[in-house]
Amino acid sequence: MTVASSVNQSVATLKNIEAQLSIFALNSQDETASRTFHEVMLMMEDIKKDLQARVTKLELEEPQYKNN
Amino acid sequence: MLEVVDMAEPVDIIVRAFVFIGILFIITKIIGKKQISQISFFEYVSGITIGSIAAEVIMGLESKISYGVIAIIIFGVVTLLVDFASLKSKKFRDSAEGHGTVFIKDGKIQEENLKKERYSADELATLLRRKDVFKAADVEFAVLEPTGDLSILLKKENQPLTAKDLRLKVANEKEPQTIIMDGKIINDSMAEAGKTRAWLNLELEKLGVTIENVFYAQIDSYGELTVDLYDDLIKVPSPQERPLLMAMLKKCQAEFETFALETESEQAKKMYNKNAKRLTEAINKLAPYLNG
Repeated sequence: MTVASSVNQSVATLKNIEAQLSIFALNSQDETASRTFHEVMLMMEDIKKDLQARVTKLELEEPQYKNN
Repeated sequence: MLEVVDMAEPVDIIVRAFVFIGILFIITKIIGKKQISQISFFEYVSGITIGSIAAEVIMGLESKISYGVIAIIIFGVVTLLVDFASLKSKKFRDSAEGHGTVFIKDGKIQEENLKKERYSADELATLLRRKDVFKAADVEFAVLEPTGDLSILLKKENQPLTAKDLRLKVANEKEPQTIIMDGKIINDSMAEAGKTRAWLNLELEKLGVTIENVFYAQIDSYGELTVDLYDDLIKVPSPQERPLLMAMLKKCQAEFETFALETESEQAKKMYNKNAKRLTEAINKLAPYLNG
């Protein structure tokens, strides 16, 4: 497995986490719980952006491993 | 003549019984839950008296129904008036409903107060044991309530351990909503939980059960559905979303740390480390909610 593809896998996991957090944020009956889920979801979004930028860079450096 | 009496008496008893069941029902409904719990001295007295009057008039055929009805209504009305007066005045409340007597203060038994209420040391011990206290020295404060119950405050070191004592942050949970009972959807609770039938059908499908087979279903504070089926042989999976999310977060965090070690670019290493730290922060933040 190339670096780019394993980093890509992490991006997918992060997306999954983000979606699940958003479900919990919507479904929670308690307001603090709902807010916490939402805050962490925004945090995950930032982390995901950082990681995606890294993927783009990796693919530029090693175009032969570009994930189609 | 004898035959007439034989027929009339049972009929009379039946009529009386039904009349008084009706009256007792109405009176207790009007006075409310307070009468049933008999918190105050006054409710206790009126409770036993109303019952005795009804029994007396039903069985004692020589007394008139109307007298019994009047007596019960007077007791009911006076109880109600006492309730309203107690709401208005603290002084009245103290004399009509009585107030507690302190039996243990600062961990010391108040012998004078025991004597005043005519309780022996043995009886105090019985009351304490009813509250699962076998050692009087464990109690900081105890009051004999007007109802005759003993309320106790244990010394701090003997109180059950709470999350607050451990300085543990725990998530607040709302009451679960019961949305299916006897296989029927309860629309009010569905609205309370903010859920639609489409959502419910989807969740049931995920669990692989049909609504007819569900005896009881509840939604918890996180919107997770738990069901009990008529068919007890079928195993229903318990909600796994929260532990699963925690596992994914931990996996992600570990991956970031691995990437940080593997990369040769200084800049990328910094980015990975920073985000690994943020993920740890997120895990700590969510821990009280996801480990419940």
